[in-house]
Amino acid sequence: MKPAAKSATGPAAKSAAEPAAKPVIPTPPMPVVLKAVALQKKFGAVVAVDDVSLSVRQGSIFGFVGPNGAGKTTTLSMMTGLLRPSAGQVLVGGFDVWREPIEAKKLLGVLPDRMRLFDRLTGAQMLYYSAVLHGVDREKARARIRDLGDVLELDGSLQRPVRDYSIGMVKKISLATALIHAPRVLVLDEPFESVDPVSTSQFVDLLRRFAAGGGTVILSSHNMDLVERLCDEVAIIVAGRILAAGTLDEVRGPTSLEERFVQLAGGHAAVEGLEWLTTFSD
Amino acid sequence: MVDHVLRLKLALLTSSFRSGPTLNRTIAALALALAVAVAVAIVVLGATVDVANAEHRAGIVIVGAALSVALAITPLTSGLGSAMEPRRFASFPLSPRRLAVSLGAAAAVGVPGVLAILLGVGLESAWSETPTGGAAVVAGVLAAAAIILTSQYLVVVGIQLAVSPAARQLVTAMARAVIAVALAVAVTTVLVVRSGENGDTLVTVAGTLANTPVGMLWAAPGSDLAALLARLLGGAAMLAVLIAGWGFIVTRLLVSPQRERAVHHAAGLGWFDLVPATQAGVIAARSLIYWTRDARYRLVLFALPIAPLLMMLAFAIAGTPVPPLWLLPLPVLALFLGWFAHNDVAYDHTALWVHVAAPLKGAADRWGRVVPPLLIGVPLIVALAPLLALWSGVEGVLPALIGVSVGLLLTGLGVSSVASVVGAYPAPRPDGGPFDQPPTLGVRAGWSQSLALLATVAFMTPALVVAWWGFTEPEWFAIAGIAGVSTGIGMLLLGIIIGGRAFRRRAPELLDLVLRT
Repeated sequence: MKPAAKSATGPAAKSAAEPAAKPVIPTPPMPVVLKAVALQKKFGAVVAVDDVSLSVRQGSIFGFVGPNGAGKTTTLSMMTGLLRPSAGQVLVGGFDVWREPIEAKKLLGVLPDRMRLFDRLTGAQMLYYSAVLHGVDREKARARIRDLGDVLELDGSLQRPVRDYSIGMVKKISLATALIHAPRVLVLDEPFESVDPVSTSQFVDLLRRFAAGGGTVILSSHNMDLVERLCDEVAIIVAGRILAAGTLDEVRGPTSLEERFVQLAGGHAAVEGLEWLTTFSD
Repeated sequence: MVDHVLRLKLALLTSSFRSGPTLNRTIAALALALAVAVAVAIVVLGATVDVANAEHRAGIVIVGAALSVALAITPLTSGLGSAMEPRRFASFPLSPRRLAVSLGAAAAVGVPGVLAILLGVGLESAWSETPTGGAAVVAGVLAAAAIILTSQYLVVVGIQLAVSPAARQLVTAMARAVIAVALAVAVTTVLVVRSGENGDTLVTVAGTLANTPVGMLWAAPGSDLAALLARLLGGAAMLAVLIAGWGFIVTRLLVSPQRERAVHHAAGLGWFDLVPATQAGVIAARSLIYWTRDARYRLVLFALPIAPLLMMLAFAIAGTPVPPLWLLPLPVLALFLGWFAHNDVAYDHTALWVHVAAPLKGAADRWGRVVPPLLIGVPLIVALAPLLALWSGVEGVLPALIGVSVGLLLTGLGVSSVASVVGAYPAPRPDGGPFDQPPTLGVRAGWSQSLALLATVAFMTPALVVAWWGFTEPEWFAIAGIAGVSTGIGMLLLGIIIGGRAFRRRAPELLDLVLRT
């Protein structure tokens, strides 16, 4: 297997020595559709994301995992044109997201975390709005609203204002909003958060079908099991740097992804510091 | 029965001072302080007013009418939550007639009721020891009863309107605004009477009010015998109608179902079906939905007519001849309607990401956002201008009025198209009340607001100056009209081009701004 996504280059790689050499299975490599080069984001003096480089190949599902505040949302926002990077470059289908935003954004479908929708619109209006903003015509938009409503089981709620939706329903309509213009690359920030198990498995099926048809998915999640089940490739980001990246097997090694993640994120050290917790006050 | 409802009313009154959030208690205390101040003012004015003086008589009519309006609307200001609404008693085995009587009596108890009675007493004390003292007693009683009953009607109407929390907030806010205006009118009138100038204006205004339901009873004791009888009879008839109607309404409300917000289940896409399927088209449809449904925009739509009218009133009381003042409301309204859009992007809050993530042309975003104010403003100007021009009595002013108003609206929108990108500042959140302000408003807000207003007026100055010349040489009016419209179109196009470029460049920074608020 060829390492589809190169591990982070430059200073970020020093802590994560990934064995690059592996037996190569001769499949023609798919083209890289999303490439981030040395992305950096500073907020004042604080460096939130430093030197993040990634390559995601067409047809893959790429999982982006990291502890809270590691810079997942910041990185994904920079990749989708929502947050201007302090340095670095993002290419989607060969177009620079920050130099040729119109061309690049046509190829992108985005589900950001913790941002509202125009929630006075009904679900159907919201989907139509996003479709037309991405250049879909009226008839196609209507047909796709029906299809997405069926697949995500939204059809009963599409005529209600989005502000009346539950959090899980908002995630569903957000996913549909990201999908409606048939993007080449889907960037989903925490798509499974507060989604019930039935809907999660709907999402998973949908994303697998999307990837099998030549689409590409980048998603962030806290749910390691789900990432292990769904993703072909993963990157672990801690404190703004990518500590490990590659195929799922390369990153997790002989252990599970969760163990590897906790090991890289330094979770054990934190727990060790709390000896007083077991001295029990009685 | 009556005493039960009264006891409930008293319990409700005291409960607002008992426990609960400090803020609520503070507001209740402030409201009570205001009520006491008004009461003291009524007593003092009633005792000191000199009914032999025509200006003082005019003052009684204007202040009485203003306070009547304020008192009738007062029950709407306390949020309607504990309002004594007939339907709340529907589940009790009461006859509608007895309920109507009890509610009417209960309305007299409580701050507005007491103040209304005091207002009646004030009228009586003003006219006591004069030949029409007896008429004043009758007028005072009728007026107090009419105010109290009217307030009950308004509560019912308010509750019918307040079908959602946002609508309830809106009703409360508007009621407070009306009271503020009414109190301002009363205070201004007292000051003008005491200054001893502009007595003619006062007498004219009072004369007009005396022939309307809000003023006739206050004017009755000062009228000659025929008018006095007519006004007292009119007042009695008004009260009779109110009483009969009250019984009817209570009966109807007890048997009719609660009005709820109609749930839309139409399969269509609403405005989106009517606009072209382009970026600018859908943004226009979305803006229209927000302008008509979002409390933050609706508040502005309701407040817009008030500012020009207040200005007119202020000028009129200060002694400017009234007819030319009719030229004032439309340009002022157009100016503020165009100016209001100067922070439109921030009103999207984080939903702005939908625009930032899309391959959106900046000019399309700008065009879409100016559609609602254009759709509201231009027809309003074209429809009202002929009427106002006629009332103004200024020969040939119509083209200038239309041109200057359209020019102010369009120029304002052009300026706003740039300002909402380069001068955006934190706005109230979409889920908050219309009066909620973000904690970090900063100086930027002040700069943006004043510069946007100044820039609009500055760009329109040539047209305004030409219009001013028209008052001496009327042929300038037509030129002012053309100048206004051309300035407007030019500035709107320019604003959209510049604003569009700026939006494309700065959209991520705008998103960053709303994310931090």
